[in-house]
Amino acid sequence: MKTAALRVVIALFLCPAFGLAQNIVSGTITDQATASPIPGVNVVVKNTNSGAVSDFDGKFTLSAAKGDVLVFSYVGYSTKEVVYQGQTSLNVQMSEDTALLEEVVVVGYGTARKQDLTGAVDLVTSKDFNQGPQLSAGALIAGKIPGVVVTGSSGAPGEGQNILIRGLGTLQGAGAASPLIVVDGVPMGGGVGGERNSLNLINPSDIESFTVLKDASATAIYGARAAGGIIMITTKKGKGREFQYQLSSSVTSNRPLNQVEVLSADQFRALINEIGTVADVARLGDQNTDWQGLIYQNAVGTDNTFSAAGTATLLPGSANVDVPLRFSLGNTNFDGILLGDSFNRTTASLNMTPSFLNETLRFQFSLKGMYNENKFANRGAISSAIDFDPTQPVFNGSQYQGYTSYVDDFGVQLNLAPINPLALLNFNDDTSEVRRFLGSVKVDYDLPFLNGLTGTINLAYDGSNGHGRNITSAFMPNTDTTFNGSFYSYMSDNTSKLFEGYLTYNNDIAEGHSLNFVAGHSYQTILFEGSDYDSEEEEDGQADFRTIDRSREVLLSYFGRLNYNLNNKFLLTASMRADASSKLNPDDQWGFFPAVALAYNLVNFGEGKGLIDEFKVRLGYGEVGNVASLSGRYDYLTRYEGSNSSGAYQFGNTFYQTYRPEPNNPELRWEVSETANFGLDFSMLNRRLSGSLNVYRKLTRDLIASSSVDPFTNFSNRISKNIGNIENKGVELNLNLGLVSTDDTSLNLNLNGSYNKNEVSQLPYVQEVGGIAGGVGNNIQLHTEGEAPFSFYVFEQVYDSNNRPIEGLFVDRNGDNTINGDDRYIAGDPYADLQFGINLNFTHKRWDFALVSRASLGNEAYDNVASSKAYARRATDREILTNLHVDYLQTGFQEITEFNLLSDHYIQDASFYKIDNITLGYRLGNIFPNLDARVYGSMQNVATFTDYSGLDPEILGGIDNNFYPRPQSFVFGLNLDF
Amino acid sequence: MKNYLYTTLLAGIALLFVACHDDLNQSPIDPDSFTEENVFANVTEAKSALAKVYASLALTGQQGPAGDPDIADIDEGFSQYTRMLFNLNELTTDHAVVAWGDPGLPDLHGMYWSSSNDFTQAMYFRLAQVVSFSNSFISNAAALSDPEVANFIAEARFIRAYAYSVLMDLFGNVPIVTVVTADLPQQNSRAEIFEFVETELLAIENLLPSSNEYGRVDQMAAKALLSRIYLNSEVWTGVPRYDACVNYSAQVMNSSYSLHDNYAELFMADNNSNGAQNEFIFTANFDGLNSQTYGGTTFLVHAAVGGSMDPADYGINGGWFGNRTTKNLVEKFTLDTAALNAALGTQSDWGLVGSATTNGWNGPDMEMYQTGTNTYSLYASLGAGELKFRFDEDWGNNYGDDGANGSLEPGGANIAIAPGNYFITLDLNTLTYSILSAGDKRGIFHTDGQNLEIEEIPAFGDGYAVGKFTNLDSNGMAGSDTGGNFVDTDLALIRLPEIMLNYAEASLRGGGGSTSTAVDAVNAIRTRGYGNTSGNITSGQLTLDFILDERSRELYWEGLRRTDLIRFGKFTTGSYLWPFKGDVPEGTSVDSKYNLFPLPTNALLSNPNLSQNDGYN
Repeated sequence: MKTAALRVVIALFLCPAFGLAQNIVSGTITDQATASPIPGVNVVVKNTNSGAVSDFDGKFTLSAAKGDVLVFSYVGYSTKEVVYQGQTSLNVQMSEDTALLEEVVVVGYGTARKQDLTGAVDLVTSKDFNQGPQLSAGALIAGKIPGVVVTGSSGAPGEGQNILIRGLGTLQGAGAASPLIVVDGVPMGGGVGGERNSLNLINPSDIESFTVLKDASATAIYGARAAGGIIMITTKKGKGREFQYQLSSSVTSNRPLNQVEVLSADQFRALINEIGTVADVARLGDQNTDWQGLIYQNAVGTDNTFSAAGTATLLPGSANVDVPLRFSLGNTNFDGILLGDSFNRTTASLNMTPSFLNETLRFQFSLKGMYNENKFANRGAISSAIDFDPTQPVFNGSQYQGYTSYVDDFGVQLNLAPINPLALLNFNDDTSEVRRFLGSVKVDYDLPFLNGLTGTINLAYDGSNGHGRNITSAFMPNTDTTFNGSFYSYMSDNTSKLFEGYLTYNNDIAEGHSLNFVAGHSYQTILFEGSDYDSEEEEDGQADFRTIDRSREVLLSYFGRLNYNLNNKFLLTASMRADASSKLNPDDQWGFFPAVALAYNLVNFGEGKGLIDEFKVRLGYGEVGNVASLSGRYDYLTRYEGSNSSGAYQFGNTFYQTYRPEPNNPELRWEVSETANFGLDFSMLNRRLSGSLNVYRKLTRDLIASSSVDPFTNFSNRISKNIGNIENKGVELNLNLGLVSTDDTSLNLNLNGSYNKNEVSQLPYVQEVGGIAGGVGNNIQLHTEGEAPFSFYVFEQVYDSNNRPIEGLFVDRNGDNTINGDDRYIAGDPYADLQFGINLNFTHKRWDFALVSRASLGNEAYDNVASSKAYARRATDREILTNLHVDYLQTGFQEITEFNLLSDHYIQDASFYKIDNITLGYRLGNIFPNLDARVYGSMQNVATFTDYSGLDPEILGGIDNNFYPRPQSFVFGLNLDF
Repeated sequence: MKNYLYTTLLAGIALLFVACHDDLNQSPIDPDSFTEENVFANVTEAKSALAKVYASLALTGQQGPAGDPDIADIDEGFSQYTRMLFNLNELTTDHAVVAWGDPGLPDLHGMYWSSSNDFTQAMYFRLAQVVSFSNSFISNAAALSDPEVANFIAEARFIRAYAYSVLMDLFGNVPIVTVVTADLPQQNSRAEIFEFVETELLAIENLLPSSNEYGRVDQMAAKALLSRIYLNSEVWTGVPRYDACVNYSAQVMNSSYSLHDNYAELFMADNNSNGAQNEFIFTANFDGLNSQTYGGTTFLVHAAVGGSMDPADYGINGGWFGNRTTKNLVEKFTLDTAALNAALGTQSDWGLVGSATTNGWNGPDMEMYQTGTNTYSLYASLGAGELKFRFDEDWGNNYGDDGANGSLEPGGANIAIAPGNYFITLDLNTLTYSILSAGDKRGIFHTDGQNLEIEEIPAFGDGYAVGKFTNLDSNGMAGSDTGGNFVDTDLALIRLPEIMLNYAEASLRGGGGSTSTAVDAVNAIRTRGYGNTSGNITSGQLTLDFILDERSRELYWEGLRRTDLIRFGKFTTGSYLWPFKGDVPEGTSVDSKYNLFPLPTNALLSNPNLSQNDGYN
């Protein structure tokens, strides 16, 4: 890079002297590996407008002067620069841009060659993304990176994924452990009401690559926000002289795959005849209604993206400015399989990367916009369809537009009775629109007085706005006879402003010693404003039927990093970040996050001779914080909260708003994680086998949890408090195998696997978590020292000789002759011990085939659907007939009790192997001049292999209830390049 | 040019750095969030802070009915103070059973709770929080020098003393904390808490206003609470203080508080204005629109409705199929007609005949008892129908009432009657009669579809349902929440009859006072309960056991039963049993450790200064 810059400078100086001596040069451009000509290559005389494009035989002709630098560029190939020596013929070989270790990887506040990396960093580029229309960015890398677990939150279209890197390092659940996502240098955050996923701003087809920084030596440059790891997303930029256009279209058919198993109408009839009173039997209908079948549908989705990338010339003539740019416009329109659910998103993005002053002043403008319309189907229908009596017809002439309802003598909906699932879907209209705009400008300026010193300023504005309304029709079954429909609306705004300024010094201080130094400052402020309106509260005469919420947060940081490279053999990285957050007490606001890492290239890039091509060992240590775990923005302050108008208190004839002093903890500190990482990167057998191995140990201290406090000493029994430690230990292995590589056939296999163990290593006392449905206030999980966080804490069921659980009989584990809370034990946790990804890519001539699959082993789940819906009393309780989960046929349980709910009968091994995606594509080639086309068919959610008996073993957090099922999808798509 | 750019850049960055650092000190910008300066700016604002101190005994958080709870680790509706008081002091006794299997709830009636019980824990947290809220109010409000604020402070001290009196009753040995501090407090003994509560109440009995607006306490509240703690002093401190109880009870009885004339109206939606308020000394106030909670009377009404009960009859949209009662409470209202009749005099030949009587028009007749010359009386349980008076089962000598004017005519018209228990008198001297409703109207049970006996606790049909609390007002109209979810009815935490019964009991236990005052007080309560004097007692009938039963009849489901049973030595012992006491169908004694609740495990863990109550771990 430095030599290139030098050549530019030389060229600039030489230009005036030799500028008149123009020659005509021509030649052929060929592929280095196959020797076949490459058509369409851009050839440009650097820093001029003159250039050419190679023809179908790879031939080009242009005029140049001796000493000019000719730049050859073509998508998928490494750009090549040649200094023209005055010859008339110039043949050029170009090589494909696949050499793994030459890849430039985006790291925080800069880039690095992969061979210079010292931390655990994984790169996934667009050619390896999961195919088919992936509506959300996170889905692109599911199963691709060891130690990175991507779990879709449900089967609803447009919903996001939870990403967990290297296990769970917080007591607050997977949400608080999410990685920081940085898009083109801008940390993402926020989220507004009415959106399904805050990453929807990014059209997945605009993404060039993901860089995942896993260990603290790599992430510490992001300090207090890095505990969950960092995902750096780089979007595609304009390149090449000529504009390239791409149109991608696909159509997807989604179908519901499976249902919660409930008693059939006949089974239910038999049950009521057996256990019901005469009155109960009389309530039975004569239909066979498959309620779940009625609420789900086959749903169609379309996805279209157009993009243009190239270089535009602004201000024609001598003052011209070349602006490499890329523009894209995309629309995704998906219906959900739950009746009435839909997601419609339009995204636009524009990236411009002009440079000035001989490329010493470089701009990167980035504009991204999104407009998203959602219809949210009422998910209450999922549970109601399980509960609703299958012997009833859909319509029975009720006053609720005929929808079958449980009513009293006056035809009014009964209290606590299930509502007809179709009425729930059809009488509820819940819609939202979300708008988001992200604009950023990054300016790099190579400061003229010191070679290698660059100043950078990065400014970003990220504004989201959500509007939504939930309208319930007056026909919705309701116990209130005066119910005349309801209208609820809300608005929320999230605005983040970012300023960053830093200096980078990059130089070879002596032969074999090179140095890279970054130091800078970052300031971010995030403002949230929301309001809502409730028509029913207004009708009730409540004063605050409109409410307003507002809060602000400021993050301020200084950071610095030093990279030292000795002969490309020995690499050192040291970094330090100081972060302050307004969420903490001013006396205690600053956190300091250091990191250091060493690497040694045993076999360096380019030195390997076939057997071992590259081999590097790495060792790193770093500290990072977790600002997400500080959930409140003002928890350290003594505040008073006013009551709303339905929480007022009466003195005399007046209702007074009340002021409550809020629980506070002035001593809150950051959670701090210390990670030690040992890693190997290698490639061998002419790079046919490459991979990496990482072993890590991460200790998170001062975990923040909502923690018990002596209630006489605060204003609540719980405050946010730093109370314990978690240790995550694991091993990750990533292997890429080029099994076949011939002229027209290639077969690549990626195998990745990880082992991770989460353990609460210190906690003064047990914390119960994991609220479940059925009854009120039951928790199924706990945090306790020596066990995984969120371990299932249950009673041990006793079974009879027919393996039928005996109701109410549990093992007296502590032998004190009574069964009480002390007899509960730990039966696993929802986080997998072992994760595997198996990904296959096969191409043969014009055909391509890809398979993506994942395995998760050692994760348990609690089937809350079965545990809360499989009791005989429930079938006839409250003079209403309610259907039961089929588990009743096995257990025959009568009562829903605390003990039954917490029985280990409902804890199951939810290990699974899933084939996520199979794609088969065919390149039509140049069916028209300058038009390349590819068609493909893809299937998603192909197959799941599991012993888990519930709907889906892949449930974030492990408590399976009211889950929106993931559909199976068939995709047909067409890509056109022209 | 380049240097200029560079200089500008550097200067700009430097400026930004300085500006930025100040931004780290953010303060709340939400319109619902306040600081101490706002809240204690003046009397009006301070009153809203005082409202929270009161509201913490009625509501569960800042968002009615739920959504922003005061305390964690328990369903917000469950965490409401009076709901937990019901669970700990009524559900643990013969007064109540509940169908639900929520964690910790079946343990209460079954009497096998442990230190991790959700309800004992949440109650400890709730009361400690009331103390913290009070302490914060008392110290912050002291800065405002206003006579009205002085009242506020005395009221907050009352609430704190009340919270400690309940802590003393339930948990015994808890820390006394009077200022807001993060320092972990030391544990105090039950006797020390008694002394603290007594001292506080004595200190504020004259600082409190002599009268106050509805919902706020006055001097009589302090005296009434003193009456309560002195009555229980022997249990709580080992030292009997019945004389002090008599003294303070008498002061309350002689105050302007007076019995309302209708028992049922005490538990109705308009009980803040229908006259019931005249006997309410300290209340938790609820409103279907403005003060919503899933506890309080919303719980008491909804949870008691189920089975064949029509929710509309209680002014609500649906029952929760939860609470019922045991036969022990029902039997306390049973009219023992045989015993009552035997006490009247000797059986005569005059009797009742008719379709309303046991044997219909054909007899044999229900014979009356002679109470004087030509006067006869009878306690009788009659069905719907008609009756006449007849001599010796012979139509030759019979009386009826022409014109239904109360005077009898030979062979007169049949007298129509509704089903019920009656006290019937016949005076042949004046040829008049009276048919008085006999029996106690306070036993408000729903029996249709309910079994008196309890076979299974989770079955709502086992055990009589209780219709004492309702969201209908005294005109039969439902409360203000048209949706029928939230109830308007206020709940008296202390009302006059308790103090009257305290007087009678303390007097009988040797506290002095006047027996006739005691009998008059009890008869005043019973006259209101019966609707007439038929239930009145003589001084000979006024025994301690009678008073315990009378407290049951008057105060059931109002949160005092466990305390009463403990004072009479009947809570854990085998001397008094009820269905499923000790978790067996016929009832059994349990360990005496259950006279106190355990300190919650979480409280012990978060404060190592505390040690557990005897018998618990």
